[in-house]
Amino acid sequence: MALSRRARSTRLLVITLVFVSLLTITIDYREGQSGPLELAGKGALTVVGPMQQAVARVAHPIGAFFSGIVHIASLQSENRRLQDEVRKLRTENTQAIGAVVENDQLRGLLQIKARLGLKGVAASVIGQSPSNFEWSVIIDAGSSEGVKADEAVVSGDGLVGHVTEVTPRWSKVTLILDPTSAVAGRLVDSGDTGLVVGNGNHDMSMQMVAPSAKVNPGEAVVTAGFKGGLYPAGIILGLVSHVAPAEGSLSKVVSIAPVVDFSSLQFVLVVTGTRPVPPPPSPSPSASASPSAATSPGGSGG
Amino acid sequence: MARAQSKGSLGTKERSLDSAGVRRVVVWVAVLLTCLLLQSTVFAQIQLGGAKPDLVYMVTIILAYLEGPSSGALAGFAGGMAEDFLLNQPKGITALTLTLVGYGVGLLRAYIVSPSPLLPVFLVGGATTVGYLFFGLVRFLLGEPVGGPGYVVRVALLTGLYNAILTPLIFPIIRRVAESSRTRKVFRW
Repeated sequence: MALSRRARSTRLLVITLVFVSLLTITIDYREGQSGPLELAGKGALTVVGPMQQAVARVAHPIGAFFSGIVHIASLQSENRRLQDEVRKLRTENTQAIGAVVENDQLRGLLQIKARLGLKGVAASVIGQSPSNFEWSVIIDAGSSEGVKADEAVVSGDGLVGHVTEVTPRWSKVTLILDPTSAVAGRLVDSGDTGLVVGNGNHDMSMQMVAPSAKVNPGEAVVTAGFKGGLYPAGIILGLVSHVAPAEGSLSKVVSIAPVVDFSSLQFVLVVTGTRPVPPPPSPSPSASASPSAATSPGGSGG
Repeated sequence: MARAQSKGSLGTKERSLDSAGVRRVVVWVAVLLTCLLLQSTVFAQIQLGGAKPDLVYMVTIILAYLEGPSSGALAGFAGGMAEDFLLNQPKGITALTLTLVGYGVGLLRAYIVSPSPLLPVFLVGGATTVGYLFFGLVRFLLGEPVGGPGYVVRVALLTGLYNAILTPLIFPIIRRVAESSRTRKVFRW
């Protein structure tokens, strides 16, 4: 009897709750976004919001930990995918950097060619000397392309060296760093000349500079371009890095840091001849009338 | 005199019963509120296969299993209504679903006599799945977006599975809370 009364009261309770729920649903749907239930919901959210925030602050690491455990399989596959992507992007990046360097060197080569009026054969560096006592590179141009021994070789940055051996397809270029290399150089500011001799991995030394010459560190040294020499005039060799005092000496010794980065040399130009450089266009007639000999290399190749 | 004494002791008894009832309500409100907060923070992050465990369903079902149909229905109604209001969902659908789930599980418990410790696990998993299917059906009938029947079935099954997996962790806590909130009867010999 008591059991049946209890069951009846439970049923009544459930019917009431279901009725209230249905009533809530109906009111909520009839009133829409502006009804009292919506306002009550917003009020409840306002009250519970700070509590949620506080709980979230404390519990977020726990949730993140469990979330990490739950997603471990997908995280592993995502990690693999991202690693592959990183590898691919690194390769692409390396290729892009290589292309930029290549582009810079080729542009430099074109600029130096145009500026100094050089004629020549472009070539790629395909190898370096394996010896520790010889500073040379192999280029992929030889006699079949018109390359001859003792021709000057330049890069976009400056003088590289000269051709010492020629085969039909390849040539060997002795770098200006090689101790056997000697180039007639001229200090740009003072105009004093000397002999720039290679010094291996160290800075080149400029010998036979007059003791009275005023040499400033950082000053550029270019090829002197003496008649009958190997190198055309005006090609930059390097910058003065150190000046040794010439007390009691007949000449001053100047250290020259090369401007060409020989470790990343890719493209060079074998200078086969020179041509007259047209004067740069001047904005006014008076300017165009002035002599342009200062910018002309003189064309004393070979 | 004896009648007056007896009346006095009855009043004290009623008062102690009332205070125990209030304490019980406060405890269960705190439990449901904690569940809602955890559901909207910690459990909201644990999503796998597009579904996450539902703590309010789990607590309602466990409570109905431990306390019977009326407590289950009341807890379901309160928890569902709170979820609808606090989590800004369409009002009343979760309350209706959980009221019926709580009542159903409470009724079902009277007919199950299995002593298996896995019974709550299966009960929570099954009831959660059924509850979610019912919830999806009601939402569909009311024109609310449900994402298709396939989605509802998948979410219902996965949520039931996750709830069943978590039951061994949550069940002892709820049982302990339920036992501590019960009115203690003292028999004097």
